[in-house]
Amino acid sequence: MPNQPFQPFSPPTVLLLYLPDGFSAGAAVAWALYVVFAFWAIYTLVAIYHWLKYSHASWIAFPAIATHLLVSLALMSYALSDQAFFFTNYLP
Amino acid sequence: MKEFELEPGEHVVKETRKHWFLFLIELLPYVLLAFAPFILPKFFALAPPLAPYAGFFDYQTPLARTGLGVWLLLWWTGAWGAFTRYFLNAWIFTNERIVNIKQHRYFSREVSSLFLSRVQDVTTEVTGVLPSLLNIGDIKVQTAAEDVEFVMRGIPRPEEMRDIILKHVSTKLQNTGV
Repeated sequence: MPNQPFQPFSPPTVLLLYLPDGFSAGAAVAWALYVVFAFWAIYTLVAIYHWLKYSHASWIAFPAIATHLLVSLALMSYALSDQAFFFTNYLP
Repeated sequence: MKEFELEPGEHVVKETRKHWFLFLIELLPYVLLAFAPFILPKFFALAPPLAPYAGFFDYQTPLARTGLGVWLLLWWTGAWGAFTRYFLNAWIFTNERIVNIKQHRYFSREVSSLFLSRVQDVTTEVTGVLPSLLNIGDIKVQTAAEDVEFVMRGIPRPEEMRDIILKHVSTKLQNTGV
């Protein structure tokens, strides 16, 4: 009803019931992480290839690549273990 | 191998890109989406009907932290990709020509050259309040062939660029005795 307040809904944990036998929620999360990290790796490789091939030997190329790798690895560490050296202080 | 080779006696006068402010505007969606998990709970807490949803953003659980880390990683990677494309789009002025390098997306690149000997007219255009304050504008370079026009959009200090082009065009014409 339009004049009724919104009702909170629960997260779609019911979807976990549809997982195949022997495939746990933990395994689903692990596979989701594999997909994300594989996407990140491919995207990063493609971008680095372009930086190195087309940046006309610019001095910005290597700091840009290094910054990306450093921040990405910190975020991955945070995602996997809650610990991301300099990032942990700034994230919840 | 370089995309274009400098001819004997040719040297690069200036290399320029779109104004940094335009890049920041391009970056804005990435920043807003990256900060959404931090802003939304506060926003939901302010609106009583939405307050129950604020609980979804509890980052004390390992799964929520994993989700947050992955979310930030994706937007960081996207923003870095935007910077890569910004940097790889460039205009290079040499004493012989203007080279326009367009990186449409990854694996889609266009490099075109306009020789100064063909330049007939150079027009600068600065439109709007912010472009006027930040000195961002477009340069249109008209060639001898009437239908060929080289347009450089959103470049910083367009008048300075136009002066550089015209200076080298006149030098070129003097050298060729025209």
